[in-house]
Amino acid sequence: MLTMNKISKSFITDDVATHALRDIQLHVNEGDFVSVTGPSGSGKTTFLNIAGLLETSSSGEYLLDGEDIAKLNDSGRSRMRNQKIGFIFQSFNLIPDLNLFDNVDVPLRYRGLNTAERRKRIEYHLDQVGLASRMKHLPSQLSGGQQQRVAIARALATSPRFLLADEPTGNLDSQMAQSVMSLLEDINKAGTTILMVTHDPSLAARAKRQIYIKDGHVSELTNKNSNLHVVGEA
Amino acid sequence: MFSYYVKLAYLSCKRTWGMTLLMVCAIGLGIGASMTTITVNYLMSANPIPHKSEQLFYVQMDSWEPNNTYDDNGDAPTQLTYRDATYLWQAQKAKRQSIQSGMAAVIEPADKEVLPFMVQGRANSADFFPMFDVPFLYGSGWDHQADLKKERVIVINAELNERLFGGKDSTGQTVRMAGEDYKVTGVIDRWNPKPRFYDTSTGSFNDVEDVFVPFSLITEQKFGRSGNTNCWKPTESGFQAFLDSECIWVQLWVELPTAQDKDAYFSFMNAYAKEQHQYGRFARTDNNKLRDVMQWLEYAEVVSDDASMMMAMSLMFLLVCLLNTVGLLLAKFLGKASEIGVRQALGASRNDLFIQHLIESGCIGLAGGLLGLILALLGLEAIKAMYGDWIRDLAQLDFTLVAMAIGLAIVSALLAGLYPTWRACQVQPSVQLKSQ
Amino acid sequence: MLELVARLELGPMFRALMRNKIGALLIALQIALTLTIMVNAIFMMQERSQQMARASGLDETNTFYLSNTVFAQNYNLKTGLQQDLQRIRQTPGVVDATQINAIPLSGGGWSMGLQTKPGDDIEGTGTAVYMVDEHGINALGVELIAGENFQNSDIGWREEGSTKWPPKTIISQALAEALFEGDWKNALGKTVYIENHQPVQIIGIIKTLQAPWNGWNGVERSMLVPQQLDNKGSRFFIRTEPGRRDELMPLIEKMLAESDRGRIIRNVTSMEQTRDKSYQEHQATNTILLTVIIVLTLITGFGIVGLAMFSINRRTRQIGTRRALGASQWQVMRYFMLENLLISFAGVILGAAGAVGLNIWLVATFSMSPLSPVLLVIGVVALLIVGQLAVSYPALVASKISPATATRGRA
Repeated sequence: MLTMNKISKSFITDDVATHALRDIQLHVNEGDFVSVTGPSGSGKTTFLNIAGLLETSSSGEYLLDGEDIAKLNDSGRSRMRNQKIGFIFQSFNLIPDLNLFDNVDVPLRYRGLNTAERRKRIEYHLDQVGLASRMKHLPSQLSGGQQQRVAIARALATSPRFLLADEPTGNLDSQMAQSVMSLLEDINKAGTTILMVTHDPSLAARAKRQIYIKDGHVSELTNKNSNLHVVGEA
Repeated sequence: MFSYYVKLAYLSCKRTWGMTLLMVCAIGLGIGASMTTITVNYLMSANPIPHKSEQLFYVQMDSWEPNNTYDDNGDAPTQLTYRDATYLWQAQKAKRQSIQSGMAAVIEPADKEVLPFMVQGRANSADFFPMFDVPFLYGSGWDHQADLKKERVIVINAELNERLFGGKDSTGQTVRMAGEDYKVTGVIDRWNPKPRFYDTSTGSFNDVEDVFVPFSLITEQKFGRSGNTNCWKPTESGFQAFLDSECIWVQLWVELPTAQDKDAYFSFMNAYAKEQHQYGRFARTDNNKLRDVMQWLEYAEVVSDDASMMMAMSLMFLLVCLLNTVGLLLAKFLGKASEIGVRQALGASRNDLFIQHLIESGCIGLAGGLLGLILALLGLEAIKAMYGDWIRDLAQLDFTLVAMAIGLAIVSALLAGLYPTWRACQVQPSVQLKSQ
Repeated sequence: MLELVARLELGPMFRALMRNKIGALLIALQIALTLTIMVNAIFMMQERSQQMARASGLDETNTFYLSNTVFAQNYNLKTGLQQDLQRIRQTPGVVDATQINAIPLSGGGWSMGLQTKPGDDIEGTGTAVYMVDEHGINALGVELIAGENFQNSDIGWREEGSTKWPPKTIISQALAEALFEGDWKNALGKTVYIENHQPVQIIGIIKTLQAPWNGWNGVERSMLVPQQLDNKGSRFFIRTEPGRRDELMPLIEKMLAESDRGRIIRNVTSMEQTRDKSYQEHQATNTILLTVIIVLTLITGFGIVGLAMFSINRRTRQIGTRRALGASQWQVMRYFMLENLLISFAGVILGAAGAVGLNIWLVATFSMSPLSPVLLVIGVVALLIVGQLAVSYPALVASKISPATATRGRA
């Protein structure tokens, strides 16, 4: 459902050209769980930004669910993000002013759903992550692991086609990290495609596919037991 | 969606309440100051008789001395001589004409226990009342015959009627003034045009007179004149010499319904001037003027310099307050960069974010506007206290002005918010979503 | 000098500002506008205060006046007047009294033109006219600096409608200067002409006596005329011993009202009240201008605080890094104070241009006089100080930022 053909991204600042991505070829099928690893500065972040329609590529073709992204303007891309993609960030990025209910509500508002429909979805997904009882609490009242769960509920509330996770356990201790990973595995089993960036090799190994980015090039680890690719520093 | 954005605005303002307070105060002060001065200016330059102001004309004839014009602008004098005014009035060439001047006299109440007192009045002709649509509580003015026969008739205002007759219908009753008995033909209702356009010679915002008597009685010398008298040429002694002199102290208003009427009357005025020129008067025969109410008020410079100057200052003050708001909004919105990034990631388009923050600006504007209204009310009270009684009726907020205040506040805040909103929406969303 | 510039990091500071132009521009513009308004407002206040400080020439603390309106028929005006004046002058505590036709600073009065040569075509000098008797100078409290007062025999009656003037007059110094090209002493004994042809001899000169109209450019020009008015309406001007005015005002009013029922006594007013009313608008405008200046400065000050706090907030990591690299707290604080000074400098330069521009427009539109450069300099210095004061709190906050933020990021 996600295809990248010869995607390249270059940044030009003050006469210096940085080639973040070079001729990326990637195909992700429905239901895949793909982990993305690589050293710092390898272009992981750029890759995720482009995959999540947060940036546009300098050249190449990106097809998401059959739609050619290049043909979309800002509103079109926003619509796609809202309808097809769910984001999970390393630093959770919940809006501090809003309580949990209102946080999960945010993407639904841009969807244009009516009050009853939104309420139904929010309650359902918060319940799914086990935080329905704390709906009216503020993010500051929750632990890191709980905040990430809310973020996951928010990402799922719009019934996206795939989840984009950037170091989802990066700010969590090992116990919380395990529980979040389990949650992601459950979600994937239920049919949602997941693309996850991580630098933790044990977490990366739990994905069904592993791809590796270095110097803007993507390669895929075909042998799960191979240690051929050394993972970059934390 | 609108109520959602209002809710978001509220939460956002609450979080940075210090900054929000500063912005609301700044806008409030700017609006308060501006509305105070705008109100005073607006009321000072209001049309006191809108339905008729283009049909009423003030007559000016240049009978002033040969070597100099009346003022530095070369304009005709602000009043007429007795001779000229009387001639024009008697000719009855306009639909209506009112000849007038100020007067003052002592009234002796019927009740001997009550002390006599002084009243300010107007000596005018019969047409004054229908021309200026003066509202009557009881009775009416007098007729042209009363003018010609110099009858002792009088029209009094409601307050005087209250004082002398307990507020009852006093038509037909007698008022003893300046040693003679005057018959009341009518009592006028509350009428206080601001500015008092029909006579600005002693002040544009004076109250309407207590009594009105026929102008023809001036020659009887029963009561004192009041107002401005200017003579460029020495006169002989005695009242008759004064009436025949070149001293200007009389006013003439005419009613001319159509443009042709106006042209015809103006030709009539100029023809008279040319005729008088042959007798050695009217050195300049074509410097006569016929101004309608608004033109006359503009010429008489009814809006004081101080008022205009302070309005200019207030608007600049508002500008400073707005710059302040732009800066603070910029700070506020850029500080929300990460939230904006998150919303973009979750599907908000640039448009959505633009509208959200514009509405936030608008809400701050509304709060500022409400504060500004309160401050404007206080400001107007202060103005009344400081400047004295005459400004009383000029320092009131009506519905239009209230709407203007709120509108000005919201529009200013929206304008102030345009740049900060645009800047904030330029934030590039990224998975890292860290501001800095 | 260059070393100072280098040590103060002015170059990098300026370049850093240029990259974040808008914030700095907003502060600079606010300062500019505030300076523009402030300088002109202070200037206008000064002008008004100067006008209000002008002496009227009268003994204002101890004088008052009232209106006398006769309405009874068959009233002997001349006898009545003489009796009234006698009664008033004999009242204990009264220094003197006179009948007068108009009151200085009251807004209403008489004016005539005086010429140095007779003739219909000669340009006259406008002057206010006060008709008094030989007690006039003493009652008004004006100072005779040359010549002599009127004698009782000089005083004549002026009937209503008369246009005959007496042959003697006493004029104010300003009028003498206007008539005789600055040489006022020359005026004594000379004859001038009123109503184009009537000769009047100047027998005395008084130092100061203002006209009724405080906005008139000839407000210092007045003449005393030895005439009593044979009128139904006139005024009495009364001077009391120090401290006795307030007690005597109602007393004399009552005495006159009761002594004769054929007339009304009204509008008993002190000269101090008259002065207050005369300058009421000036005073009010001044109060408003002062309020505007204060509020404006406060708003700009708080605006600077707000924007500076924000700007420093954005640079937390940068500041922490500087500290980690060896900058002391004072050096950090100094950096931000200096940065604000640069911005304020740009602001006051712009503001000075604006102040002059606004002043030019005000002079053209409202015929004020141009402002003095001293005021501009004072305004500039004042605003620079305000800016520094405002930024000192945020700068202090910046200096307290821990060097640990270099590694840890936001605290």
